Amino acid sequence: MRLSQSRRSFTSKSAALETVILFRAGAVIFAIAADAVEEIRDLTGLQKLSVPAEHQKFTRVTHTLDREGKRHFVIDICAHFGVQSGRASRLMVLRHAPAAVMVDAIERMQEIDSIQALPAAFRGEERNWYRGLIVVKGRVIPVVRPEAFLTKAEAVLLQATLRGSEAGRSAAVTA
Amino acid sequence: MSSLPTTRRNFVVFPVGGKRFALPAEQVNELAAHPRFNEQEQQTFPHTTPLLTGVVVRRGQIVPVVDLTSLLVGSDVPAKRFYLVVSMSTAGEVNRAAIPVTGECELAYAEPLPATADLPPHVTGLLPLRDDVVQVLDLESVMSMELWA
Repeated sequence: MRLSQSRRSFTSKSAALETVILFRAGAVIFAIAADAVEEIRDLTGLQKLSVPAEHQKFTRVTHTLDREGKRHFVIDICAHFGVQSGRASRLMVLRHAPAAVMVDAIERMQEIDSIQALPAAFRGEERNWYRGLIVVKGRVIPVVRPEAFLTKAEAVLLQATLRGSEAGRSAAVTA
Repeated sequence: MSSLPTTRRNFVVFPVGGKRFALPAEQVNELAAHPRFNEQEQQTFPHTTPLLTGVVVRRGQIVPVVDLTSLLVGSDVPAKRFYLVVSMSTAGEVNRAAIPVTGECELAYAEPLPATADLPPHVTGLLPLRDDVVQVLDLESVMSMELWA
């Protein structure tokens, strides 16, 4: 499923702020701006990635996906948020970075008219993880910040790390 | 005849397990039934802030739940019955928070005594009541990151 660039609705009577995609990871439902997602697909074509032990912060990056001549790093969302692992079935390919997020299920798309700020009492990593919170049918849903999954700098570092380890392997084979 | 100056103030005294604690009354917005006793569920999502156990929606606002149980009395306490919805200043803003408590709350009009040096920094004073002396809490101090560093 390929998503168009803009999903804003200008026709509805109540002005929608934006459209989000609701998705599930473990028992938790999250939202992400529809504009931040390039494509939603199944898990075919993933290649297992083993990140060198010295890069512990990248343990959440478990696979790569080669798509349209470009390598994407695949993030296990349950590892990213430290939630109990579910059964991943879908991949959300992000626009901002060569990254894709493995999630259990896509619930639906939802127009929202406001995002509440994360209460200031939350002071941990969640301040980076989330843009804020929305309430959909009484359920509080965190709206994720797509760039928190993998920043451009982290992507560059990962690419360099992989190039380094691939070069090392090839040198070892040549020797 | 004029009365002597007094520093007596109103406090809300609330139980957590077998102990009672106090907060300045002006900090307390409301007492609400705990989710187990009505239809409103506490909801959770991933985060890393100590003491926060989730959020509740109160009057359309998302209010974080700050469970002081482990800090104040350890983990072995009876079920929570009410939320004390309070205002507290965090990161320069006044925000609301819901504190689960284990029983009925009461209003006390008393003069707080200074906290003794052996008490933790989140205790700002001691409130002498008829049958008990209870600790007055400073929520901003409780929630400060320094406490958890």
